[in-house]
Amino acid sequence: MALMPFAWMRGLTLWLRPLRALVARGWLRESDVDAWLALLHPALRLNRVMAQVRARQWVADDMLALTLRANGNWGGAQPGQHLQLYLQRNGVRLSRSYSLTALHADGSLEIAIKRQPGGRVSPYLLERLEVGELLELGPVYGELSWPEQASGVLLLAAGSGITPLLGLLRAALAQGCSAPISLLHYVREQGQRAFVAELQALQGQYANLQVRWSLSGATADGAELRGRFAAEHLESIAGLAQRSVLACGPAGFVGQVQQWWQGARGQGELQVEAFTPPAPSADISRRAVRLGFARSHRVAEADNQRSLLEQAEAQGLKPAHGCRQGICASCTCTLLSGVVRDLRSGALFSEPGQQIRLCVSAPHSDMEIDL
Amino acid sequence: MRIDRELTTAELDAFGHELDALRQRTLADLGAADARYIRRIRAAVRFCCWSGRALLMLGWLPPTWLLGTALLGLGKILENMELGHNVMHGQYDWMNDPEFAGRSYEWDIAGPGDFWRHTHNHVHHSWTNVLGMDDDVGYGLVRLFPEQRWKPFYRWQPLWVTIQAVLFQYSIAIQHLRLDQVYKGKLSRAEVAPLIKQFNAKVLRQWGKDYLFFPLLALLLGANALAVVAGNGLANLLRNLWTFVVIFCGHFTEQAAVFSKESVLGESRGHWYLRQLRGSSNLSGGPLFHILTGNLSHQVEHHLFPDLPARRYAALAVEVREIAARYGQHYNSGSLWAQFATVLRRIWIYRRAPVELMPAVG
Repeated sequence: MALMPFAWMRGLTLWLRPLRALVARGWLRESDVDAWLALLHPALRLNRVMAQVRARQWVADDMLALTLRANGNWGGAQPGQHLQLYLQRNGVRLSRSYSLTALHADGSLEIAIKRQPGGRVSPYLLERLEVGELLELGPVYGELSWPEQASGVLLLAAGSGITPLLGLLRAALAQGCSAPISLLHYVREQGQRAFVAELQALQGQYANLQVRWSLSGATADGAELRGRFAAEHLESIAGLAQRSVLACGPAGFVGQVQQWWQGARGQGELQVEAFTPPAPSADISRRAVRLGFARSHRVAEADNQRSLLEQAEAQGLKPAHGCRQGICASCTCTLLSGVVRDLRSGALFSEPGQQIRLCVSAPHSDMEIDL
Repeated sequence: MRIDRELTTAELDAFGHELDALRQRTLADLGAADARYIRRIRAAVRFCCWSGRALLMLGWLPPTWLLGTALLGLGKILENMELGHNVMHGQYDWMNDPEFAGRSYEWDIAGPGDFWRHTHNHVHHSWTNVLGMDDDVGYGLVRLFPEQRWKPFYRWQPLWVTIQAVLFQYSIAIQHLRLDQVYKGKLSRAEVAPLIKQFNAKVLRQWGKDYLFFPLLALLLGANALAVVAGNGLANLLRNLWTFVVIFCGHFTEQAAVFSKESVLGESRGHWYLRQLRGSSNLSGGPLFHILTGNLSHQVEHHLFPDLPARRYAALAVEVREIAARYGQHYNSGSLWAQFATVLRRIWIYRRAPVELMPAVG
């Protein structure tokens, strides 16, 4: 139960500065302060960003757009960026990254979530999350930006890669971008054409916008374009060589676009963003991996056999550690991305944000740790 | 004395594998119930501490002062044992929740969390009851085993131990400063200076909260500041005595074993498990008793599996007891007072210098 309206709660954030200073100096425990603040308003926190679900809208058969309103700790974002979303499932705090599809003037934001069959987060968000519930948001990332100076823009999206591009497109159109824009979205089935109604409406409203879909699935009959990304799909686009290209989708798709781009020798710029859901194999034979140390700003050639502690030390880093046998937890570190293998049990871990012990964990894929 | 069967290398390996498998089974089963449990414990800590502090604002009125002090003491015990100690072991790291992250949790006690993570999680848990390596064996103040070299200082150990019990949180806090090494000149003052600074800052915060902030708040509210100071002092004392009793029962009971430095050279996983089993002792009791001890009443299970959520120890104990029996190992368990009596007996007996064995006369 909230003792004050949402807007007041956002305004109150500024007044929490003295408490923040006390917490930063260790005089108060943040989680205790947050427990008191949550009594005033469920979304009020000292530092954490909590957002309330304002609306749910299906934008494709397998994609849901969520409108969220964040508390006063939300630091804002740029179109084209994505944010971390935290959700507790079965006792574990999971984090996933979703692109911002819209940023509204009143401080609310929209993200779109595609169903990952068998996933731990998206099925819950799609089926069970209700309007009014609270979600925790994390930092905002992403380098994609609208090419302001371009004489024309080509947006290439595959699957949920449409989401950051839609965020950029909406913002650019709202700001009166008059350069010719083509959007090409690759999906499997008709029903996966996310935001199709809105995109068709925008196409009618803005003469400089052209939107097309290519279907690769079994029901592709009657589609304008068919199959996966191919250079022929771009033939009808006027002034292709001058256009700046933004591509977003799975790593394979982005790789194909980059390959095409190198051959086409366009004059605009190319920006890409790839995402690939982790699919760890059970193979534990010796292989080389890339090991990133985020705090040290280093990437090392490593292997998947020796412990992370040994390999970090081999790089000259000096991680805190104790027993070196998995007992004392002194070497606990946060996994940022990739897959690690527990050397004792062989179990694989791939949750971003997971606490791992360097002395009994080995890399299982290219990965990054907070060290 | 305990009677254990000596295990062959193959038996030790099998013993280790069984306990590893038990650990894996429990890890795979962790989930919402464990997360809910530790959040409830935290809610109980908050309820006890906050309501206790609120009641102390009512002054010397006996029912409220006593209840307030008891609640505050209870809150501090729960925070210290079931919440802080266990979270700081990384038992809830699998939740990925920064509020329960073992590496950064800071508990409501004089010793800085970082000190504890080193002296306890690393030194004590790796080298449990190894003389000369585990400083927790008597904390340098008490001689508890005949294998410890006697010093004249130990003659008065019943007194030292009483003082330690009353000031238990400080005795644990200064352990990391290794003042004995500084005194002997093995550690320079410069090396210890940053630690002392960290120590002072934490103690100052603790005193500032208990003996300055809340009494001042009482003054502002027109209440009796002295009643608040006294309530806080008594709550801290209760916590000190309780934790002292529980912790001394963990490894210093009659049937707890100690080990030589040589015996742990090249120790295997199975051997490490065996040493934890032999060096630890359990306390029997009901569910509430176990929670109040932070489940250190299952000291054996805690030492075998320091990073498994403590609420699992009761169930694990059934299996550990069965495994121990199969391998011919004594499973050291008894009631709190029975076990504590044997600890007191050790303190009393080993204060004396060992009697030189007389050569047998034909």
